[in-house]
Amino acid sequence: MGSKPERSMKNRIRRLRFDHDEMTQQELADRVGVSRQTIIALEAGKYLPSLPLAFRLAATFGVKIEDVFQIGEPEAENPA
Amino acid sequence: MTALQKYAWYNLGVIALTLSTIGLLYPVAGKGALGGFGFLGLMGLGPLFFRKKSGKVMMDERDESIAKRSWNFAFAIFWVVAVMFAALVSTSVYGSEGAVPVWIVQSSVFVGMIVIYAMSSIAILVQYGRGAADGQ
Repeated sequence: MGSKPERSMKNRIRRLRFDHDEMTQQELADRVGVSRQTIIALEAGKYLPSLPLAFRLAATFGVKIEDVFQIGEPEAENPA
Repeated sequence: MTALQKYAWYNLGVIALTLSTIGLLYPVAGKGALGGFGFLGLMGLGPLFFRKKSGKVMMDERDESIAKRSWNFAFAIFWVVAVMFAALVSTSVYGSEGAVPVWIVQSSVFVGMIVIYAMSSIAILVQYGRGAADGQ
């Protein structure tokens, strides 16, 4: 079950969506079986997903789970 | 708006209808106005908001988490209110050897239901309100 987000938990869902043909939040929601509101909350760091949902998100993007969720500072998305 | 949010607003609407009906009828009908509690039966239609629609997720894990926390909060509040009335208010109003009128006992069942559903619905809406802005 999801829980209150930890302050240090970050994710790259928004970045990964745009890297995958600018997938919309609704498309991602449909693929992983949640509502669009949940995707919005995830991207904003307001909600931590359950482990099964985290795996489904990673599988949807074809990456490892640690490439979607990180503890600590988010990696720079626009390196100079 | 999710199905759970619609459900919460619906319950608050039914509660408002019930209380306003009782409030309006009480000066005219006296205790007969308590029949207005019958409107609470409309809450039985609430589950219709969760009917499965093709291709649409009606309730996901976040909704379930919010619903669970809301029920926990509502029952905690209900317990506090119930204990306060049973142990403190009833004693101070009717005395330790007094008798509580039957209509109050009957009404307390409906009031308890209102407290639980109102607190749960408010908690649901507050939790969604704290979530992210609804933007792409």
